[in-house]
Amino acid sequence: MSEFDVIVVGAGPAGASAAIKLASAKVNVLLVDRADPPGSKNVSGGVLWGDSLTQVAPDWEKGPVERYVEAKGVSFLTKDSRISLDFRSKKFGEYKSGYTVLRTKFDAWLAKKAKDSGVMLVSGVTVDKIAMKDGKAVGVEQGGETITSDAVILAEGANSRIAYDSGLKRKPTDRNTALGVKEIIKLPEKTITERFGLTSPKMGFASEFVLGFLEGGVRAGGFLYTNKESLSIGAVISMAELRKNNKTYSFNVIEQFKEHPFVAPLLEGGRVEEYSAHLVPEGGISADSLNGNGYMIAGDAAGFTFSNGLVLQGMNYAIVSGIVAAESFLEKKEKGIQAGANFANYTENLSKTFVMKDMMNFKGIDKLTWSKYVHQTLPSIAEEAMLNMFSENGQPKKHLYKILTKSMSSHEESKLGMAMELLKMLRRM
Amino acid sequence: MGLKIVVMIKQVPDSQEVVIDPVTFTLNRSAARNVINPADENAIEAALRIKDKLPDTHITVITMGPPFAETALLDAMARGVDDGLLVSDRAFAGADTYPTGLTLAATITKIGDVDMIFAGEESTDSSTGHVGPGVAEFLGIEQASYTSNSWIEDGYVYAERELEDGIETVKMKPPSLITVVTNANVPRNATLRMKIDAIRKGIKTWTLADIELKPEWVGLKGSPTVVKSMRTMNEKKREGKKFKAGEMDKFVDELVSKGILKL
Ligand SMILES: Cc1cc2nc3c(=O)[nH]c(=O)nc-3n(C[C@H](O)[C@H](O)[C@H](O)COP(=O)(O)OP(=O)(O)OC[C@H]3O[C@@H](n4cnc5c(N)ncnc54)[C@H](O)[C@@H]3O)c2cc1C
Ligand SMILES: Cc1cc2nc3c(=O)[nH]c(=O)nc-3n(C[C@H](O)[C@H](O)[C@H](O)COP(=O)(O)OP(=O)(O)OC[C@H]3O[C@@H](n4cnc5c(N)ncnc54)[C@H](O)[C@@H]3O)c2cc1C
Repeated sequence: MSEFDVIVVGAGPAGASAAIKLASAKVNVLLVDRADPPGSKNVSGGVLWGDSLTQVAPDWEKGPVERYVEAKGVSFLTKDSRISLDFRSKKFGEYKSGYTVLRTKFDAWLAKKAKDSGVMLVSGVTVDKIAMKDGKAVGVEQGGETITSDAVILAEGANSRIAYDSGLKRKPTDRNTALGVKEIIKLPEKTITERFGLTSPKMGFASEFVLGFLEGGVRAGGFLYTNKESLSIGAVISMAELRKNNKTYSFNVIEQFKEHPFVAPLLEGGRVEEYSAHLVPEGGISADSLNGNGYMIAGDAAGFTFSNGLVLQGMNYAIVSGIVAAESFLEKKEKGIQAGANFANYTENLSKTFVMKDMMNFKGIDKLTWSKYVHQTLPSIAEEAMLNMFSENGQPKKHLYKILTKSMSSHEESKLGMAMELLKMLRRM
Repeated sequence: MGLKIVVMIKQVPDSQEVVIDPVTFTLNRSAARNVINPADENAIEAALRIKDKLPDTHITVITMGPPFAETALLDAMARGVDDGLLVSDRAFAGADTYPTGLTLAATITKIGDVDMIFAGEESTDSSTGHVGPGVAEFLGIEQASYTSNSWIEDGYVYAERELEDGIETVKMKPPSLITVVTNANVPRNATLRMKIDAIRKGIKTWTLADIELKPEWVGLKGSPTVVKSMRTMNEKKREGKKFKAGEMDKFVDELVSKGILKL
């Protein structure tokens, strides 16, 4: 007999959701997190998109959330300009957007929820590895001791040391990892509401930025989100970019972003309260197999993040995959589970959800998000076109098409090549 | 029967995360996570080292505090302490160091037959250093404060006290009380196995009724301290000028012109 039905490693959104789902079905669950309190080392931008959390925590919207995103932006930054799309809608509500969250608060709230629903929560210990016997996961090892369980849900996040050490996942290449750096900047609630033109203190703004202006042509994506009384600002830089430009440091990137002439005024008067850095999985599913004998891999540990330059999502995928892992265990349990059973049903169940569908449909999107077209060519064409369109130099006006083709021809690439690239981009998004 | 030890611990807000409210001057504890007072971690470790040598020693860790202080007790149990006891009652609210000591002394009396009591040198959130010695006085037993090492030999308690001009070794008859300095030792880590066992075992809780003290002796009512006024010290803004490497001459000139440096 195993000591626990399920051991969940990692109390981020994936692990906590899985544990709550299991405990609500009277399953004997151990949830372990290396941080104390859980979540104190976790980083997101972060907007939690959608409402998947309702399945395990129906009252979450009244809990650890900051502002509801009513305004979503995308901006391209060149050295002197900011070209933005700023979409605000009263229809967000009918159409779900998301809430900004602060992970330290959010994760602690979710972990407490898990504890209250009957999960045994242990924080402040790092699990060493999955305990394997005859090719089956039979529990976890820590400090030379084994704690046994019928199944293990691995939700250890992007830096999946256990998955690597247990041979469940290949070591990441530069292509499947990016580095995220983030600061939390304190500002009064009223200042934020006014500065971002929000309709109430409960409403928020979230924007991604394509940082095409960085020193040395480094390509990175930025984000700026509004919390109740602070801003979350950060940048995501691919490892390949960091490696290629050996003079690039992640803190340089965020500094340049903050100092941009059309970003700095948004931060005016704020005080940096927190600084953090974290890995972001890129390029889709990273685990060799999402399930095996006695185990399932959920969340970032499996590589479930989505970023296309317009949005950066991961928490929603983590939550859904955690819940599906729990349901897959329950499915097996109903049929009378054996320790170390194979959870092929997890991969099957997951493929019916948007998690797997998005991973498949948007495979290779990272090539686009880090492309020179997105970062430099397009923004500079747009900048030139806008300057021509919105300035008055005592010259007769030109048609937009003429302006665009003229700006395009100043680039080395052929017009046809650019048009093709644009089409490819639109299809990938 | 083996030795019976009590370790007194206090849960405090993590000092790195505490902010002082500029208006009310009180500590904003809600922003900070709660941890075991650092010196108390050393006190726990000192007790565990005695148990390492004398395995039939029984250690109880006690705290007077709110219900959420349970986590501090479980943390101590996960490191090898046998029992955790929370002394918690609304009547204790607002206690200064005098009723805190009295409450803890009454708890220890109630536990009974205790040979050694360990405490930290002081807490990080009030840092009076009153409570340990206070408890010894209430119990009328011998004590050694600011110790960095302690052991049992021939039925006596030995402790090394860290003084400004050296180390003093004292020999005491049990029961006796020892306060331990911060960083006296390296506290051991708890394993997952021990954390699980501690959670399964759980803590015990006593209220005012269990320790047989009168309500007017504890909490705010039993506190002789009156706070007359408080103020915070504001940081002075300095000019803060930066000089780049290679600007040594400019830097020196500036210092001379300001009269800071005389050539
Ligand atoms: C800068 C940045 C911005 C982002 N912005 C967004 C955003 O706006 N919206 C969004 O949806 N997503 C965003 N993401 C992605 C999102 O943060 C992740 O996808 C999400 O946190 C994944 O959840 P998880 O539960 O899988 O992993 P995590 O949240 O990383 O949780 C893993 C947990 O496992 C624990 N753990 C790890 N190893 C062990 C071990 N050996 N033993 C015990 N415990 C262990 C950790 O302490 C941690 O609590 C962002 C990420 C970054 C870095
Ligand atoms: C003037 C004054 C006013 C105060 N007013 C209030 C108030 O209104 N409300 C309030 O809640 N608190 C109040 N306190 C704080 C609280 O009562 C004290 O923190 C408590 O008496 C311990 O004092 P200390 O933190 O200075 O501990 P120290 O004497 O510095 O602690 C030394 C050691 O004693 C032990 N110890 C200390 N406290 C405990 C405990 N509670 N349980 C177990 N062991 C312990 C630990 O081993 C600790 O390392 C006040 C303190 C002072 C000095």
